[in-house]
Amino acid sequence: MKIEIKVNNKRYCLEIEHNLTLLDLLRDELGLTGTKRGCEIGECGACTVIMNGDAVNSCLVLAPQADGSEIFTVEGLEENGELSILQKAFIEHEAVHCGFCTPGMLMSAKALLDKNPHPTEEEIKIAISGNLCRCTGYKQIIEAIKSVSNQ
Amino acid sequence: MLPEIKYYKANTVEETVHILAQNKHAIRILAGGTDLLPELRSEKQNRKVIILDISSIKLLNKIEDEGHFIRIGALVKHSQMVESILLGRHAGFLTQASSLVGSAQIRNRGTLGGNICNAAPCADTLPPLVALDAELTLESSSGNRTELLSGFIRGAYKTNRANDEFLTWIRFKKLPEGCRSNFIKLGRREALSIARLQVAACGMIDSNNKICYIRIVPGSTTPNVFRFTEVEEYLLGNEPSERLFSKAGDMVARKMVEITGVRWSTEYKKPVIAALVRRSLQAIFNLKPGVAVK
Ligand SMILES: Cc1cc2nc3c(=O)[nH]c(=O)nc-3n(C[C@H](O)[C@H](O)[C@H](O)COP(=O)(O)OP(=O)(O)OC[C@H]3O[C@@H](n4cnc5c(N)ncnc54)[C@H](O)[C@@H]3O)c2cc1C
Ligand code: FES
Ligand code: FES
Repeated sequence: MKIEIKVNNKRYCLEIEHNLTLLDLLRDELGLTGTKRGCEIGECGACTVIMNGDAVNSCLVLAPQADGSEIFTVEGLEENGELSILQKAFIEHEAVHCGFCTPGMLMSAKALLDKNPHPTEEEIKIAISGNLCRCTGYKQIIEAIKSVSNQ
Repeated sequence: MLPEIKYYKANTVEETVHILAQNKHAIRILAGGTDLLPELRSEKQNRKVIILDISSIKLLNKIEDEGHFIRIGALVKHSQMVESILLGRHAGFLTQASSLVGSAQIRNRGTLGGNICNAAPCADTLPPLVALDAELTLESSSGNRTELLSGFIRGAYKTNRANDEFLTWIRFKKLPEGCRSNFIKLGRREALSIARLQVAACGMIDSNNKICYIRIVPGSTTPNVFRFTEVEEYLLGNEPSERLFSKAGDMVARKMVEITGVRWSTEYKKPVIAALVRRSLQAIFNLKPGVAVK
């Protein structure tokens, strides 16, 4: 089937199979491999993208359902060829170890900050509770997000 | 990998019932997909699956104030429920239940209709909705019918939905003025099922400090979800007290074992459900500040 989708401000018109997920579409059809494939059952959050303003698990969205939607992925975070403030904060706070959870974490954090620029620590924890990290112990990630919200 | 899929999309209720009527046997309804996609992934058979995507039906994406009643469209997402001031005011424990579903990402996609129709024994919105005596509207090409939620659920992952009908609305009476409600959830989905229990309760006292309204619905304890009316009757007309609530907790635990029989998890679940019921009643009647357990 044919779908039209906007990803990181770029419009695409694609012919796709019915059994793709949004995650498959982003990685395999568009080559946007920043979005990670983890559990594929909604538990790990590595595949998190922003769809029409909300953080969602792209592994749980059937690609045909994304027809007409607006998507942001980690590739869309950079500003004028530079890392965004949020990405820089992750680096400064050593919130990136192996990095597998990072794209998903960043998108959950961005979805939160877009709606609520000054979240409390509790609100930050709730926003990233669907993103698992095996390495950092979360503290650095929470600190990084907090530092952006204070700016 | 997902199986091969034939995808249909309906934009209105009329289109939905029309497509359902033509494909009675094989069709799978897709709303947020948070239950359906993992399910399709785990099915080993290689048969082609017919999917009907109803997630774009705008009519069913709203929460309506009908005076004494509230009506929620089946496609309303948990995140919308959490943000609804109307629900917060008149059915607080339902908002609380939705706020504890999965994660932010799951709440942004998962719908109330999907939570009900999937009929998992541990579905979080079922206990508060049953406590509210919620009524469902099911639509098919031959018209619509209404049914109490407690009758619609026919055991774990079972409902009496006919193949050609789908859930459109969930409707219930607002809680009476002054009634307080509370939802407690213990354990997480990812953890062993032994660690999952919920209690939805609401109640109020009259001018003589006697309990005049009370509803108690435990979740994940029995295959069906229902009000524990014997316990409610025991509480009615009594003054709130620590002893009364302990007794009520024990009654719920005993009743649970009567229904399910003794299982390997009973040793654990019995004292825990008793404690949750006690704590929930304490929270409602202000004996101690309520603590939400996650
Ligand atoms: C990681 C994860 C964590 C979760 N945590 C929780 C939790 O804590 N608590 C909880 O209760 N649930 C949880 N869930 C389950 C799920 O998110 C909820 O049950 C959600 O509300 C399902 O809604 P949906 O729109 O995604 O349903 P879908 O997956 O689209 O559908 C679910 C089922 O209902 C049917 N259906 C959907 N809508 C209708 C309708 N209108 N009429 C008829 N049939 C319909 C579908 O055919 C399917 O069988 C979790 C799921 C995941 C993946
Ligand atoms: S890959 Fe989507 S949540 Fe794990
Ligand atoms: S940095 Fe390795 S999983 Fe988070």
